[in-house]
Amino acid sequence: MMKYFSVRNRSILKELVRADFKIRYQGSVLGYAWSVLRPLLLFSILYVIFVYIIPLGKGVPHYPVYLLTGVILWNFFSESTIQGLTAVVARGDLIRKIKLPKYLLVFSSTISALINLFFGLVVLLVFALINGVTPSVEWLLLIPLILELVSLSVGISLLLSSLFVKFRDISYIWEVVLQIGFYASAIIFPLSSVPVHLRQWFFLNPVSQVIQDSRYVLATHTSVTMWNTVDAIRFIIPFAMIAAIAIIGGFVFKKRSRTFAEDI
Amino acid sequence: MTEVAIEVKNIHKEFVLLQNKSTTLKQAVVNIVKKNHKTIYKVLDGVNFEINKGDFFGIIGRNGCGKSTLLKLIAGVYEPTAGNIYVHGGLTPFIELGVGFNPELSGRDNVYLNGAMLGFTRKQMTEMYDEIVAFAEIEPFMDQKLKNYSSGMQVRLAFSIAIKAENDILMFDEVLAVGDANFQEKCIKQFQRLKREGKTIVLVTHSMDTVEQFCNRVLLLNSGKVDFIGKPEDAVRRYNELNLIN
Repeated sequence: MMKYFSVRNRSILKELVRADFKIRYQGSVLGYAWSVLRPLLLFSILYVIFVYIIPLGKGVPHYPVYLLTGVILWNFFSESTIQGLTAVVARGDLIRKIKLPKYLLVFSSTISALINLFFGLVVLLVFALINGVTPSVEWLLLIPLILELVSLSVGISLLLSSLFVKFRDISYIWEVVLQIGFYASAIIFPLSSVPVHLRQWFFLNPVSQVIQDSRYVLATHTSVTMWNTVDAIRFIIPFAMIAAIAIIGGFVFKKRSRTFAEDI
Repeated sequence: MTEVAIEVKNIHKEFVLLQNKSTTLKQAVVNIVKKNHKTIYKVLDGVNFEINKGDFFGIIGRNGCGKSTLLKLIAGVYEPTAGNIYVHGGLTPFIELGVGFNPELSGRDNVYLNGAMLGFTRKQMTEMYDEIVAFAEIEPFMDQKLKNYSSGMQVRLAFSIAIKAENDILMFDEVLAVGDANFQEKCIKQFQRLKREGKTIVLVTHSMDTVEQFCNRVLLLNSGKVDFIGKPEDAVRRYNELNLIN
């Protein structure tokens, strides 16, 4: 583990993330303020639509918080995997010219997405307080939940980015998968509105488990979570999936990264 | 006894060129079914040599002889098909100047970015920063975006970072001819300084003048094989002969 985060690797990672962050708001008048403004504007739109126009979450306590928790976590997942997917190919210029640990490129895209998630979370927590949610120590459970989601994103990004070097179709396929995933993660409708016998199927998707648990922690204890839907044995499924994806992703990436410089 | 800086042992490098380079899943499937013929392109074919500590080592050869591939192998960008390369000491390769430069960032940010790619921490770069900027002669422009630089300024900045990068072994690919006469003069002085300080320098070039002026040993590559290795005068003569034959 030490090897992966040597002084040199850490400084490369820091500079990559820093450059990415600087470029993102390059040339905009409000600059870094957009990191907070973006989630704020997104929240406002969703709030108006799903609270006043299509009240999908009637009866769910703190539904706006419930909705937005799902949205920012989903956005993190989709942003980090989309950026992660192209992380290697996009930096072909580096890979062809210097020896560098290629996984740093994937890590840097995940960290960039994580920074956005952080700003989103800050806005969300303020929003939750305004909405009347009582702050509690339980909120700290968000940290392991986010780490779980990060592991999944990194695993997927490693796998997809290394395959993307040779198979450019991957990006279109992943776009479709994300579309399906958006509905399969019950982002905009509460899982409690889904027929009981169908609910368990949502938890074949690790993202749902993370989101439903986060909603339980942050918005309402009425959130349908995996551990109150399925039995203990099936409860292992999302964790096993994440571990499997991370191991396969890491393995495939390691194997393929040896010829990235020639293949890009 | 002379110490060895780089050992290149029986290096082979092949590139696989698919007739239809498969970039989509469909083609990949078609290739499996059709048994698409692969063309194997041998770039280096059993290259052996050693570079000693303190050498100013030139690598010459005609276009397509495998010079750049060899450099990328030593730099660790490519992995050899067969053979081994041992590098003793810290190596900073310059396959290209200004790796990682981003036109949207300021000159200052790019110095740090490029520095990180070369293996320096932010702290080390801060120590070298003033010297780099002074050498490049572009102090007033450091907060401007790189895209507003002239190409000459960009190259000067990149070269200045390279020349200030302190490491045991430095490798350059065809990067001497940058800037105006005045700047070139400065660069040559820096090379002479590095040579005096006993750094090991590996230089890939097409300029026979440079070879004769700086190098003490020269490797001539021809079609992926070592054609000659030894004194610069002899290497240059042999190189000219090769050019006449073909």
